[in-house]
Amino acid sequence: MELFLQQCVNALQWGSFYALIALGYTLVYGVLRLINFAHGDIFMVGAYIAFFVSTALLAPGLGLSREWTLALTIPLTMILTSLVGVTLERIAYRPLMRKGAHRLYVVVTALMCGLVLENGNLALLGASRKTLPQLLEKNVYDFGGIAVTNLKLWVIFAAALVFLVLHFVVTKTRIGMAMRAVSWDKFALPLMGIPLDSVIVFTFTLGSGVAGLGGMLFAMSYPVLEPYMGAMTGWKAFIAAVVGGIGDIRGAFVGGFLLAFVEIMVAAFLPSTFRDLFAFSILLLILWRRPTGIFGKPQTTKI
Amino acid sequence: MQRYALNILFPVAAVVLVVLAQVGWLDRYVLTVVTFIGINCIFAVSLNVVNGYMGEFSCGHGGFMCVGAYAGSLLSVAFFTDSRLFGASLFPPESAPFLFPLVLVGASLAAALFGLIVALPSFNTRDDYLAIITIAANYIIISVVENIDAIGGPRGFSGMKRAVNAMSDVAELPWMLIWTIVGLFVCVATIRRLMTSTYGKGISAVSQNEVAAEMMGINTNRVKIMAFMVSSGLAGLSGALYAHVYGYVNAQSFNILRSTEGLVMVYLGGMGSTSGVLMAAVAFTLLVELLRFVIPWLNDLLHAASLLPASYELSQIWKWVFIPLLLILLMQFRPEGLLGNRELTQVFPRLKRWITFR
Amino acid sequence: MTPLLEIDDLTQRFGGLQALSNFSFFMEDRELVGLIGPNGAGKTTVFNVVSGFYDPTEGDIRFGGKRINGMKPHQVTALGMARTFQNIRLWNDMSVLDNIRLARYAWLGYGFLGATLRTKRYRQAEKAIEKKAREVLEIMDLTDAAEELPKNLPYGLQRRIELARALAGNPRLLLLDEPAAGLNSADVEGLIRQIRWVYDEFKISIWMIEHQMKVVMSLCQRLTVVDFGRVIAEGTPEEIRNNPAVIKAYLGDDTL
Repeated sequence: MELFLQQCVNALQWGSFYALIALGYTLVYGVLRLINFAHGDIFMVGAYIAFFVSTALLAPGLGLSREWTLALTIPLTMILTSLVGVTLERIAYRPLMRKGAHRLYVVVTALMCGLVLENGNLALLGASRKTLPQLLEKNVYDFGGIAVTNLKLWVIFAAALVFLVLHFVVTKTRIGMAMRAVSWDKFALPLMGIPLDSVIVFTFTLGSGVAGLGGMLFAMSYPVLEPYMGAMTGWKAFIAAVVGGIGDIRGAFVGGFLLAFVEIMVAAFLPSTFRDLFAFSILLLILWRRPTGIFGKPQTTKI
Repeated sequence: MQRYALNILFPVAAVVLVVLAQVGWLDRYVLTVVTFIGINCIFAVSLNVVNGYMGEFSCGHGGFMCVGAYAGSLLSVAFFTDSRLFGASLFPPESAPFLFPLVLVGASLAAALFGLIVALPSFNTRDDYLAIITIAANYIIISVVENIDAIGGPRGFSGMKRAVNAMSDVAELPWMLIWTIVGLFVCVATIRRLMTSTYGKGISAVSQNEVAAEMMGINTNRVKIMAFMVSSGLAGLSGALYAHVYGYVNAQSFNILRSTEGLVMVYLGGMGSTSGVLMAAVAFTLLVELLRFVIPWLNDLLHAASLLPASYELSQIWKWVFIPLLLILLMQFRPEGLLGNRELTQVFPRLKRWITFR
Repeated sequence: MTPLLEIDDLTQRFGGLQALSNFSFFMEDRELVGLIGPNGAGKTTVFNVVSGFYDPTEGDIRFGGKRINGMKPHQVTALGMARTFQNIRLWNDMSVLDNIRLARYAWLGYGFLGATLRTKRYRQAEKAIEKKAREVLEIMDLTDAAEELPKNLPYGLQRRIELARALAGNPRLLLLDEPAAGLNSADVEGLIRQIRWVYDEFKISIWMIEHQMKVVMSLCQRLTVVDFGRVIAEGTPEEIRNNPAVIKAYLGDDTL
């Protein structure tokens, strides 16, 4: 029982990472109907940005304390990662969409942008792995035999906070409602007086910023960075988003936690090599029974 | 008669290649590259059936190649060699040159069976969800293979070299080159014949307007199953050839990166154009090999010109930056690919006098 | 004689929306019948259910005495029903000839092996399909367009190709979903002549949805009027024209 609860806490942490990445997929998909396959690599870029920013801030020249570094690294990482995401949209996706290219071409472009990011990173920085400096004094709390580090709590808290903020943005702010309007009907948008491009840029900013935060938290939890860390995690987060029902914020979270739960439990009670097998099979099963995901609305074909 | 130039040209080119390899004018490296071009052609052209003609977005094609590679390897090890796994050989090793097609057919059928499983959920879902299903299938296949210890698990599987050697013992020929050429020929002929028949045009009908297809008497589910099975079966063929050329297989050679390479070739060539994808597969394989030499040369050049810091070496990884960049640029400026949905003869109508490609 | 098409108490629900309620209808062989009603009344839904695209929530549909609810569209097509669409649905990136050829798909007579091995059966089947397709093109005066892509052809011609494609399946019953939509008045005259000619020439039964009263009034022997998913009137065009319930449903619509 304790083992189970312990694994539940781990699953919550692991699911937070998935959820933070899945959000980006879901937001962009909701607005553009585009699978941004580069998004997993944006997460990786976020982790590297966190590494460079925190290393620079801790360097003797500035010599900030760890607390200040942490406090500054979070917003800086989010802003810089957003910039990367928005840049991708500007130089790679937008010209294509402007030309009215087939959706598949944009998807392929996204896939290729991801490859450029991860391999470009490997080519530029080399194979030596970077280690994020420790920014948070590690404390272990004991809840009746379940060990929880303060970092884990922060990760889970951050994911929950992001969910609440995003939920507020999407349901209460004008631009958030515009985002939802676009996902319903692109032509309804001018009625709200917000240009489509602003909505798209805002969406990419949000998605990439959240992925950047996820990357940083991931790097704090598992400090060794490598260029391909975003690829596998990204694919899985995408699957989580789809299982949750792509285009729905709640779906990203539920899907992320569900996937993490399955993975952690399989790894805990079965040989860990079965992890991917089970995770993917269960997800396929869910999709088979509910092709539009948990929160997805079924689409009917009109004749 | 002129119209069949391609039908004559292809066998002639094949014979010339085999003869050159036989007399030893092609060194081992060139031979491997040529064989690998053939395998890539089969892989890309087969992916094109689903991603091009049917307009779906399958991105786990490597998984089917994996099934074919393992099925083919197991079959030929069981058939022609004494192994710990299967005991004594099922057939005398001398029969290898004659029974090898059986191995290829078996591998294709095994992969087609997996294609069937992936096709089932594709009935109700399109593009985005199908992408997921195929990615997941790719991961599942690799994970299953890695979890079966009897076939080597994550260590991979070998022993096919002995089967190939058994063929060489009968006659000293570049066997794998020959089988690759045969495989490519069968693959292209199958797709060409399929796509020019009314039966196969059902695939295009589903792609262009699925509702109309359904309402005009086409069993769309069966068409999808057929397209997936043809596509995955031929990918299995490429996998079986790959396994025998290298004499060793590892599930990780068929991961999502392999699938991505397939996507690159298909979209480079223009979806829905077999000749375009063939050209793209040749160009892509050559480009990858070319970059192997160009990158060190560029490295030396840049160092000589002091444009690179001495501590930095241009590595082969750059290959995987250049190729995606190339495709990104292509998507921006010529998104329809090299030939863009059209066959060679439609782009250059004068060729029609010489070849019939459609 | 069993009627050609019988629909009993058909009800169709989508989630909470009741698109059709207790819709009943019958038609004899060789009739030319119209289905009219205001926008959103459920006309196309009737066609979609009859042709097998939706499974009916309740009710029975019999075609030539055979129960067809629950059948897939391609099975219904194989029984001899064909249709056209309100918004043209052609396969735009293949030739007109191929479009017509594909209408023979339900009676192909060969499979994957036939196609790839080019068996005798395949050659015979393709020959017959080619012959039939050329015939239909000839009859419908489309021979010149055979090698064109539909998307490059004018709208009126596309409509005719769709009709030709439906006829290539040798249907007993032809469903026409707003054949006059998007045509100008001169074209409409031509269309009326064409439908009458098709009706006489192919000796088939036709059930059509149409908004333009001129078309249904001059063509149909009998009309059914639906509103809010239920039948509100039935009768000859003359009876319908004077039916108070119909006039009420169309109130403000001066096309009647």
